Amino acid sequence: MQRLVEFFQTAPVDPQQAGQMLWLIILLPLIGAFISGVFGKVLGRANTHLVAVGAVFGSFLLSLLVFWTINDYRAMAMTPFGGVNYAVGADYGTWFSAGSFKVTFGLFADHLSGSMLLVITGVGFLIHLYSTEYMSHDDGYWRFFAYLNLFVAAMLTLVLGDSLPLLFVGWEGVGMCSYLLIGFWYTDPAKAFAGRKAFITNRIGDFGFLVGSFLMVLALEAAVKLPADVSSKLGRPGLEGTSVLARLNDGMKQKGVLSVPVLEEGSKVFASLLDEKIPQGPLEGMTFGRVLMFALLLFLLGAAGKSAQIPLYVWLPDAMAGPTPVSALIHAATMVTSGIYLFCRISWLAVLSPEAMATIALIGASTALVAALIAFSQKGLKKVLAYSTVSQLGLMFLGIGAGAFWAAFLHVVTHAFFKACLFLGAGSVMHGNGDEEDITKLGNLRKEMPTTWATFLVATLAITGIFPLSGFFSKDAILHAAHTNSIPAIGWALKTAWILGVVTAGCTAFYMMRMYFVAFEYPRSPEAKTPHAHESSWHMTLPLVVLAVLSVVALVHGLPIMKPEGRTTIQTLMENFLDPVFRTTQDNLAKRQFVVIPPEEHVPWGAYLQAWLIALTGGGTAFFLYMRYFPSKKGQPLPGALELARKASWNKFWVDEGYTIAIIRPITLAARVLWRVVDSILIDGVAVRGTAWVTARTGAVLRYLQTGDAQAYAAIMAVGLAGALVWILQRYAL
Amino acid sequence: MTSIYETRVLNAVIFAPLFFAALVMFLPKNEKGQIRGVTLAGMLVNLATCVWAWTRFMPRSVDEFQLEYRLRWIDELGISYHIGVDGLAMTLVLLTGVLGPLVVLASWTFVDERVKEFHLALLVLQTAMLGAICSLDVLLFYVFFEAMLIPMYLLIGVWGSEERQMAATKFFLYTLVGSLLLLVALLAVYFLAAPAGQRSFDYATLYNGLMSLNREVAQCTAAGNCSAASAGAAALFRWGPLMFLAFSFAFAIKVPMFPVHTWLPDAHVQAPVAGSMILAGVMLKMGTFGFWRFAVPLFPVAARQYQVPISLLAVIGIVYGALMCLAQKDIKKLIAYSSVSHLGYCMLGMFAFTGEGATGSAYQMLNHGVSTGALFLLFGFLYERRHARLMADYGGIAKVMPVFTAFFLIVTFSSIAVPGTNGFVGEFLVLLGTFKSSLPVAFGVFAATGVVLGAAYMLWMVQKVFFGTVTHQENLGLKDLGLREVLAAVPLILLIAVMGLRPQPFLDLLNPSTDRYLARAQYASGKAEAASEDERVRVTVIQLPPKLVVAQAAPAELPTPRFLPVGRVVPAAAAALNPQTP
Repeated sequence: MQRLVEFFQTAPVDPQQAGQMLWLIILLPLIGAFISGVFGKVLGRANTHLVAVGAVFGSFLLSLLVFWTINDYRAMAMTPFGGVNYAVGADYGTWFSAGSFKVTFGLFADHLSGSMLLVITGVGFLIHLYSTEYMSHDDGYWRFFAYLNLFVAAMLTLVLGDSLPLLFVGWEGVGMCSYLLIGFWYTDPAKAFAGRKAFITNRIGDFGFLVGSFLMVLALEAAVKLPADVSSKLGRPGLEGTSVLARLNDGMKQKGVLSVPVLEEGSKVFASLLDEKIPQGPLEGMTFGRVLMFALLLFLLGAAGKSAQIPLYVWLPDAMAGPTPVSALIHAATMVTSGIYLFCRISWLAVLSPEAMATIALIGASTALVAALIAFSQKGLKKVLAYSTVSQLGLMFLGIGAGAFWAAFLHVVTHAFFKACLFLGAGSVMHGNGDEEDITKLGNLRKEMPTTWATFLVATLAITGIFPLSGFFSKDAILHAAHTNSIPAIGWALKTAWILGVVTAGCTAFYMMRMYFVAFEYPRSPEAKTPHAHESSWHMTLPLVVLAVLSVVALVHGLPIMKPEGRTTIQTLMENFLDPVFRTTQDNLAKRQFVVIPPEEHVPWGAYLQAWLIALTGGGTAFFLYMRYFPSKKGQPLPGALELARKASWNKFWVDEGYTIAIIRPITLAARVLWRVVDSILIDGVAVRGTAWVTARTGAVLRYLQTGDAQAYAAIMAVGLAGALVWILQRYAL
Repeated sequence: MTSIYETRVLNAVIFAPLFFAALVMFLPKNEKGQIRGVTLAGMLVNLATCVWAWTRFMPRSVDEFQLEYRLRWIDELGISYHIGVDGLAMTLVLLTGVLGPLVVLASWTFVDERVKEFHLALLVLQTAMLGAICSLDVLLFYVFFEAMLIPMYLLIGVWGSEERQMAATKFFLYTLVGSLLLLVALLAVYFLAAPAGQRSFDYATLYNGLMSLNREVAQCTAAGNCSAASAGAAALFRWGPLMFLAFSFAFAIKVPMFPVHTWLPDAHVQAPVAGSMILAGVMLKMGTFGFWRFAVPLFPVAARQYQVPISLLAVIGIVYGALMCLAQKDIKKLIAYSSVSHLGYCMLGMFAFTGEGATGSAYQMLNHGVSTGALFLLFGFLYERRHARLMADYGGIAKVMPVFTAFFLIVTFSSIAVPGTNGFVGEFLVLLGTFKSSLPVAFGVFAATGVVLGAAYMLWMVQKVFFGTVTHQENLGLKDLGLREVLAAVPLILLIAVMGLRPQPFLDLLNPSTDRYLARAQYASGKAEAASEDERVRVTVIQLPPKLVVAQAAPAELPTPRFLPVGRVVPAAAAALNPQTP
């Protein structure tokens, strides 16, 4: 055992070299995208499959290598502030620099981004494989694989980039691919519209991301210019206050202000500066804490766009218009988790603002509940899964807000497995049932599609949180953290969020089991498009099986089996694994105590039992209602209150309609009015044509002075002379 | 040492198109293929000269203006034929050079009437634009600046759409109003900058001449009392803001800034594809270039005074232009209004007076030339097939013309500044520069909403035109792009990628210009020590070449004293205005 552990903790290649080849991981799918997109039609279907799937598989192998390497303690990424253990990185030179701003092409893989690498390329590979069968009847296969490969490249850029601008390249890149893939079947206007809605909603978030980044630039540049009397407070053991700032300044010049190492170092500086006022510059008079809070809230807006949180979640359910593998890869496993990834990345900043943490927790918890409630009544297989994704993402944000970054990330990983499995299962169901996705028009799938059924059941139980599947551990870790941790400044926030989270967990069990019962256990619906479903081929079932196995196996990460040396506390495997990533976060937490995290000394059996009971209650209620109660009352209308609730849930609480009335219509109306009134009438009409008119009229009047009539000229001349004479006489003679 | 090629290469850049225009003149009218071929060859040669000049240009050199060439022209008035480029001008020269051949390719089949005249206009226009960018003599600049109007007027008025006459006239008059104000202000600067006898329209003379006056005005304005200023400074204090506004007005029309933008939609809608491409690609940049080269450096005090109002107009332009786009039905009009929005970013970045903002602004000029040029080019292909401009006339084009759609989508992403395309770098830098500037933070925030609105209108248009099912029978038979069309589009697509992924070579060209621009904009604001600041901002150019023997002999035959109009117009005032005058 010890030998085995040692084997896996020894880098197979020189860590330095592993860092240097990080760019290849991104390049492979990029080349795949180029070949599929430009030559795919000429190459034919099989060759395109080979290129696209091969590219992602190659990336996966490289990611494995990198992941292995970063388990070695000797793996070290160099930053201007010293080396970072358990990480590799490389800097490939300047991307752009102007003024005092600079961005480099710097890539960086630590335990956080390393795990993401595996999820993206691993799940990505499975989904590519699955798609070769799923898209086997579509003429646009080359386009599809080009977009899908491009997406993988963008997502990899997002997690590997070691600066916010580079992360943003991936961030917008995945949004662009998502736009292209949601609207993949563009001949359907509704699908094209869904793509556009996704992009624009994401753009609102990106606006927040950009402005947040700019605020960080301002804050950091203000910090390094602080006068000596303030900077003396920043001293650390072995480092004078002024030299802390000088080091930060050097780092900014070397790596760029928005690079992750600089921001991390900056967070250490900010931790001592939160109540300090900014003495000069555009943010003069604001405290650093306030600026940080605004920046974090703007980042939250960005994350809400990408990760479908209130108020920007509305695009994700519509995004199901895209092909199902897309929903599995982009809208469940990877892209939508980038908001959580972002906050894990900048966790050291997040913990410096209790207001931001509380907001994150509350936004997450409320999104989780609202989405779960909407999922209650939806009929589309993919619609339910979409709302469940929104809901689960909400739980992850709750974890972030509660300061349990590792738990949120654990849920990202387990959710990637079981939700991808569910979506692919749904795809398999649709593929075998003539593209039917209304659960009430399916039924009896347990018998008809055994493999799909088995994997779907495992994944459903995982998301429901049934012991001992992976979802149980990850979800419990979040809820447990929300329960035990606290934000002293805003005490009620986490309490409320925890209650919302627990209710959500129950709801999740309910709607997931409802869907499962209706689609798989009910007798075959007479409205089904095909009398019998056919099971899919191995291209599709293999990924299902692998993902189902993974959604069980991933539970290992959630086991509280690690005992760090010299401490009495216990940690889960994931917490221990991510420890190097969150070291600065812990320092900042210890320094400011904005979030109090009590140490865990025993295995929380009570919490486990509670979580298990909640899941059982939710699932049991669904069983009772859908297997016993409703079948016995077939044909009778629902009771009034229940019907009202169903209607509200079915219509998604009319949020889309509300946005249309409150935002979209006013803007389009304003645009039309401005165009008709200001542009056409005021500027072009009154000002421009008015000038022309006045000129023309003046000319028309003055024209009479030039009639060419000699007599008139003579008359005017005579009058003028007479006048002049009179004037002269008056002036001088009299 | 500079070789003879280096001193002459800019002449080749400017006059290569004119030379080929002369060739075209000799071609028979009906040989359309030959005319097109020769024009294309001319544009390609011109591009080669531009690239040649670029390889000779040294971004790291201490010299601001390089590849200079200077000839005596009208000595009596201090006008010389003086050309040279700095980093910004170099990039604009490249942009113009790249667009040249593409414009010819784009109109290969589109223009079939008066082919000879059309291509003559294109070539002459190319010379005028390059001349305006390269001029270091302000009067020479003015001549080229005005000379651009005529071929463009013809392009719109002769080869345009239904209402071409109206649009051409509107374009011409609008721009002329600005130009005349510019001329008046130019003359005022001419008289103010140097004492009688030393007056010159050379950029160096004008700028260096105003330096000490500007410093005096800045100091007395800061002190709050300008009554004791010297005569020149008093004049500059009194008239400087007005002169700055005259410059600004002229250039703002060209940019165009809100609210003097209304000529642009009409001109773009009516112009043929070549006209739209050149208009968007290069001519609008003359406005921003004018601000950069003349309005701000010559009047730094006034520019700082008017920083907030002008930036405000720029922000309004960004949001307003985007909102206008949302209300359009006509695709060309939409692209035209998107130009108003994008050029708003250029102006905002320039008036942020920060390194990021100014470089971003300069880069955004290039980006806009590439992206919007490509949009007009691509839409031109569609227009040539269908002769319809409304979105409602299309729909489902993606199915019929997949290659075209792919190109259009890439350009769209560049236009809405998706990272990885050129647009992102410029927009990011401009916004960052705005946030870092002394402008209120709200300016940056409102400007950033353009990010959302830009995506909204562009993708809306893309959906209307390309997605959905084909609703019009005529659209079913549309052919996808041919080889010539692909060749015309690919260079711009490549530029979009290259400028997005490797912007640094371009930024290295721009950054030294930015530094000087900023130093001049901040001149005498008290942030730098006076003597070293003067050293940094002073314009150094090559001297006039010695008079030729013939030229020296000539004055002897003239009656002396020579009749100098300048001496007569303002004999006393000029002497009083210039403290240096003994």
